[in-house]
Amino acid sequence: MKTISKILIVAILSISPIINAQTVDEIISNYFENTGGIENWEMAEGIKMSGKMIQGEIEIPIEIVQLKNKMMTKITIQGITFKDGVFDGETLWSTNFMTQKAERKNQEEADIIKNDLEQFPDPFLNYKEKGYTVELLGKETVDGTETFKVKLTTKPNIIEGKEVPSISIYFFDSENFVPILMHEEIQMGPGKGLTVEVKMSDYQEVGGLYMPFSLTQGIKGQPGAPIVIDSIELNPSVDDSEFAFPEDQSIE
Amino acid sequence: MTMLRNLLLVLLIFFSFNQNTFSQSSKDIKLEDLFGDLKARHIGPAVMSGRINDMETHPTDSKILYAGSAGGGVWKSSDAGTTFIPIFDKYAQSIGAIEIDPNDPDNTIYVGTGETWPRNSVSIGDGLYKTTDAGTTWEKIGFEKSERIANIIVNPNNSKEIYVGVLGALWSDNEQRGVYKSIDGGETWENILYINQSTGSADLAIDPRDPNIIYASMWEFRRTAWSFNSGGSNSALFKSIDGGNSWNKIHNGFPSGKLGRLSIAVSNSNPDVLYTVIEAEKEEEKGLYKSTDRGDSWKQMNNDFGITVRPFYFSRIVVDPKDEDIIIKGGLSGSISKDGGKTFKDLGYMHSDIHDVVFDINNSDIIFAGTDGGVYRSWNKGTTMEIVENLPLSQFYHISVDNETPYNVYGGLQDNGSWYGPSAAPGGITAKHWKPVGQGDGFRVLRHPKKNIIYSEMQGAENVWRYDVENKLIKTIQPLPVAGDEEYRFNWNAPIATSSNKPDRLYIGSQYLHKSENMGDSWEIISPDLTTNDPEKQNQENSGGLSTDNSGAENHTTVFTIAESSLDENVIWVGTDDGNIQVSSDGGNTWTNTIKNVKGVPKNTWVYHIEASSHDSKTAYVVFDGHTSGDMNAYAYKTTDFGKTWKNIIPSNDVYGFVRNIQEDYKDPNLLFLGTEFGLYITINGGDSWSKFRKNMPSVAVHYIDLQKNTNDLVMGTHGRGVIIIDDISPLREINEESLSGKLFFFKKDQFTMRDQSGFSDSFGIETQFVGENPSNAFQLKYLLPKRHTFGKMTLEIQDLDGKTVAKLSPGKSKGINIVHWGYRIKAPKIAKGKTFSFGGFTSPRISAGNYKAVINKGKDIFEKEFEVSYDNSSGLNASDREFQFNTVMKMYNMTQDLAYMVYEIDEITESESVSKRFKERITKLKESLVITTGDNYVGMAKRQLREKMADLYAKIATSYDKPSDNEIDNLMLIEDEFNDAKKELDKLKNRIDLSSISLKSFTDFVNE
Repeated sequence: MKTISKILIVAILSISPIINAQTVDEIISNYFENTGGIENWEMAEGIKMSGKMIQGEIEIPIEIVQLKNKMMTKITIQGITFKDGVFDGETLWSTNFMTQKAERKNQEEADIIKNDLEQFPDPFLNYKEKGYTVELLGKETVDGTETFKVKLTTKPNIIEGKEVPSISIYFFDSENFVPILMHEEIQMGPGKGLTVEVKMSDYQEVGGLYMPFSLTQGIKGQPGAPIVIDSIELNPSVDDSEFAFPEDQSIE
Repeated sequence: MTMLRNLLLVLLIFFSFNQNTFSQSSKDIKLEDLFGDLKARHIGPAVMSGRINDMETHPTDSKILYAGSAGGGVWKSSDAGTTFIPIFDKYAQSIGAIEIDPNDPDNTIYVGTGETWPRNSVSIGDGLYKTTDAGTTWEKIGFEKSERIANIIVNPNNSKEIYVGVLGALWSDNEQRGVYKSIDGGETWENILYINQSTGSADLAIDPRDPNIIYASMWEFRRTAWSFNSGGSNSALFKSIDGGNSWNKIHNGFPSGKLGRLSIAVSNSNPDVLYTVIEAEKEEEKGLYKSTDRGDSWKQMNNDFGITVRPFYFSRIVVDPKDEDIIIKGGLSGSISKDGGKTFKDLGYMHSDIHDVVFDINNSDIIFAGTDGGVYRSWNKGTTMEIVENLPLSQFYHISVDNETPYNVYGGLQDNGSWYGPSAAPGGITAKHWKPVGQGDGFRVLRHPKKNIIYSEMQGAENVWRYDVENKLIKTIQPLPVAGDEEYRFNWNAPIATSSNKPDRLYIGSQYLHKSENMGDSWEIISPDLTTNDPEKQNQENSGGLSTDNSGAENHTTVFTIAESSLDENVIWVGTDDGNIQVSSDGGNTWTNTIKNVKGVPKNTWVYHIEASSHDSKTAYVVFDGHTSGDMNAYAYKTTDFGKTWKNIIPSNDVYGFVRNIQEDYKDPNLLFLGTEFGLYITINGGDSWSKFRKNMPSVAVHYIDLQKNTNDLVMGTHGRGVIIIDDISPLREINEESLSGKLFFFKKDQFTMRDQSGFSDSFGIETQFVGENPSNAFQLKYLLPKRHTFGKMTLEIQDLDGKTVAKLSPGKSKGINIVHWGYRIKAPKIAKGKTFSFGGFTSPRISAGNYKAVINKGKDIFEKEFEVSYDNSSGLNASDREFQFNTVMKMYNMTQDLAYMVYEIDEITESESVSKRFKERITKLKESLVITTGDNYVGMAKRQLREKMADLYAKIATSYDKPSDNEIDNLMLIEDEFNDAKKELDKLKNRIDLSSISLKSFTDFVNE
C-alpha cells in the first residue's frame, strides 16, 4: 500500500507539468512538433485533397486544391464536373449549376479569399510574421475532450464597405495539441451572426505532416455535412490555366 | 534492472486498476463529458414570443439591434430587426440591461442580468457580463449577488468609465444595490450611490453633452410570495454634476409624501430637457413630470391611465433622439406624445405590456417595441406595428405530452394563453402548427388520458376549460363554493392533475384538494385545508404599495402541486406554496403532513413539485423553491416510505440555481432530470452527482419536465425559450462502469422501423419565421466511445449478414454518446453522363426489411452490431407487395447503371483515334437517343431521352410507399424495350470495330468509382 501511494505521488508529479498552464506559443509549438515539425510545414507550397462530401445517401466526389495564392474546388455530380470557389489570385468565380457556366463573384468576396489564402498552409505557422495575433482563452471541453481554446485574429476583411475583424477560435486537444474544432462567425449574407463550426479528426500522415482526413462542417448547433478525405497530395503540380476564368463565357 | 522492471509492472497494474474501477465508479463518471451527440432541439413556438426587458440600438449602424429578454437571453439582429439570433446562451437568460460601448460598438457589449420589471414570476440574474469580441466570448465582471441590473452606461468619450445601476434583490435585503462606477473598464467598481438594503437603482441617465452629469432614480421595493410593496420614504431622484462624487435630490416641483418607482430620460437633442414618470401617494400627483432646466424644477404634464398604470411593471420613458417633444412611455398599450407630454395617444395594436421602446438612429419614424409578447417594429412611429416572427421566447409554466404519433406538447404561457402543438411536422414546426386552447395567462394544459379532450386554465383558476377537440365544444369546469364552504384560495398557477388509473378523474387544488370523477362536471372536496392557512399571508387586496396591485398573482397559502401514484390510485401527494408536503394513502380520507421529516430546508419553503415514482408507490420526489424568500439554494428530496423519512438527493451541492421540477425515468429509477433556474441537470446515480446538460441547451429556467413513454423523449417547458426536447434519452440508462470500460460500446436498441409516412410542407414565411427542428426518422446507430477518436482512420459501414456492403457512413468520433443517422438507403445509382442532370437519378433505393449489421473499423479494432429493420405496418402493404416493389426498383436501378456503362463505352470509343469519323457519327447518334447532350439544367432543358425516362420512372417507383401500379409496369416494359434495342444496336456497332486498342474499366470498377 505504501509503495502504491509513493508511486501515485511520483506519477502525479510527473504528469502535473503537462496539466499546468501552457502559454499559447507552447501550444502552437507543440502542435507543429506533433504534426511533422515546423520545417516540414514551411516546405508546403500547395495541397490537393480528394474525397467525398456525404449528403444523405448521395456521395459527391470532391477535390480541393489550395496553393499559396490560388484555390479551387471541383465537384462531380452524375459524371459532370463543376468548379466552385475558384480563385486565380485576383478573380473569384464559381459555376452556375443551372447553366453550367462560370460566373464571377464580387471583388469584396475575392479579396476575402485572397486574405484567407495568406494563412496557407496553416494559419498558426509563423503567425507573427503574417501579422496575426493569438490569444489563449482558457480551457473548454469539446466532444468530452479537454481543449485549449485559442483565438486567432488574422487580417481584417472589408465587408459591405466596412472593415471587419477576422477572428476564428481553434480548440486544440490538450493531450496531443492538434485542433479538433474551429469556430468562425459568418460575416455576411442571411446567416450573418451565426457560427460555422468545423470538426476535425482522423489525423493521418502525409509526406511527413499529420492532417485531418475527416472534416465535418456546419452551423453550430445543427447537424453538419461530413467530408471524408481519401487522399492528400502535397505540393501538387496544377496548371495555372485550371484557375483561370473561362474567358469564352465572359460578358464584356 | 529486474527491480526497475517490477516497478514498471506495478505501475502498469496500478494504472489499469485505476482506469477500470477507481476512476469509473458511477459516482465518478463525469457525465457532462459523455453527452456527445445527445442534444436538445428547440421547437418554439415563436407565434406568441415572450417578455422583452430591454432593447438597444447600435450607435452608428442602424441595421444592428439587440433585444434583452426576460427569460430567453440576448438576441442580436443584423438586418434592422427582420430576424434575430441568440448570442448569450451559456449564461443566465434573464436580462436587465444591454449597453454597447459607443467607442467600440462593433465589439464591446455589456449585459446586466436579472430582469427589472419585477412581477411575481420574474427570474433572476447573476451579475454583469462583458464581451470585447462581439459576443464570441463573455466574461463575468462582477455583481454576482446583484440579482437585477437596471442600467449600464459607458461614458461616450471614455470606454474605461462605466456606470451601473443595480436594482438588486427583489425578495430580500441585499447590500449590492445602488449606483456603481468603474474607471478601469470594469475591473474594479466603487459604489457611488447607496441608500439601504431595500432601495435600489431603478433608472440611470447621463447628459450626452457632459458625461459628468448623471441622474439616478432610487426605488424602495420588496416582494414576498404573498405581497408586493412599491414605494417609501427612500425613493428619490438624484443628480450628480461631478461624475458621481456627490449627489443631490432634485425634487423641486415633485409630489409630496412617499414616492414609488421613478424613471428618468434626458433629451438627446436638448439635454436641458428631462422627463420623469413618478409613482406617488396621491393619485392626482402621479404621472409624467418635465424639467427644462436640467432638473432644477419640475412640472407635472400628464397623469392619464397610460402614464400611471402599474408603475413597477411599466416605467420606461423614451425621448425621440431628434425631437425633445416626442416621447414614448411604456405601459399596458404604450403611449406616444408629440407635444412634450401634454397629451398622449396609444401606440398601434400589438401585444399588450410594453416595457421598452427604441428609435432607429437615423429615422425616428422607425421604432422597435419590447413587449410581453416579443419585439414589434413600426415604420410610422408606432401607428401600426408588426411582430418579429423568429423570437422563440415563449415562457411556459407547465407542459405535458400525449401519446399520439408524433406526440403533441401542451402548455400554458406567461401572459400568452395555453397552446398545443406537434413534436414533429413536415418541413419543421412553425407558428401555424400551434393551436390555442385558453386565454389570459396559461398554466396546466392536460390531455385526457383516453379521449380527445383537453383541460386548460387561466390565472387563479378563474376559468378551467374542458375542450372537446373533435366537436369543438368548450365548457368551464372550475369548482365553485357551496353552502358551508370557505372561500376557495387558488394559486395564480393552480395545480390540476389527471389520473392514469381512472381516465375521467380530475384533481384541482385550492387550499383543499378537489376531485371529480366525471371530467369536472361535479366536484367533491377530499381533504381539509392542507396549507398553513396563515392569515398574515392572505391580505392580497392590500398588496402593491403606493399603487394597489391585486392581480391574483400574490395569492398564497394554496395547494401548488398534486400527484396521484400511477401504481396505486389511493396514494395522493400534495405540496403547498407555504411548505407542506401532504400524503394520503387512502384516496384522501386521511392526510399526513410529512414536512417535519425533511431536514435542511427552511420552514415554509415553497413545495414546487412532487413527482410520484413510477417504480414504487411509497416513493416520491419533492423539490423546494425558496427564491421568493431570497433563498436561491437547490433542494431536492426523495422518500421511499410515504414521507416518514426524506433523503437529500443533491448531497454534493453540485447544482447551480434553485429547482422547479424533477422527472424520474420510467426504466431506471437512478436516472433523474432536474429543472433549475439555470438549465437542466441530469444524474445517473440517484443524485449522488449531477451534471449540467449544455448540448444546444441554454441556461434557461426549466419550469416543467415530462418524459414521453413511447419515444423516451425528454420534453421541457422553459420559461423563456419555449419547448425544448432531448430526443430518446435511453442511452443514458446504459452509461455505467461496464459500458465505459471497453473501447467502444453499442447501445442496446436493435429494432428499427422504416417509416412510410410523409407529408407536404410549405415554406411561406419561413425566411423570417422561427422553424422548430424535427426529430430524425432515420435509423440511428448509437454507441459510446470512452475517448474521442482523433488520430488514425475510423470507418463505418452497414453490411448485410454476409458482409456485403450496403452503405458507407461517416462515424461519430466524440467521447461519449455518438449517434449516426442513416435513411435506410443504399447509394444512388451511377447515372449515364449527359450534358445535364437526370433529376430522377438522385434517388436512392430503400433497403428491404431484414437483418443487417453495423461495422466500425477503428485503428486495428473491428466492432460489429446486428440489428433488425422492419417495414411500417400502417401503410397496409403485404410481404409480396413489398417484395414486388423492391425487386422492381432494383431492376430499374441495375438498368440505369447498365445504361450508364453503355454511355461510358460510347464516350470512350468516340474519343479513340482508332475509329473512323463516320463510325463516330453513327455511334454519337445512338448516344443522342440515350442521354441529353444539349441544353441546361433549368428551362433550357432538352428533350427527354432514354436516360431521363428510365430514371424518372425509377424515382417514381422508388419514392412511392406503394407497390408499382399496372400503368407503371407497362411504362417500364416500354422503356425496357427501348433499352434492349439500344443495347443490341450498340453490340452491333461494337462488333464492327476493333475494341482491343481501347482500354475500358470493368463494369464493377465503373459503378464503384
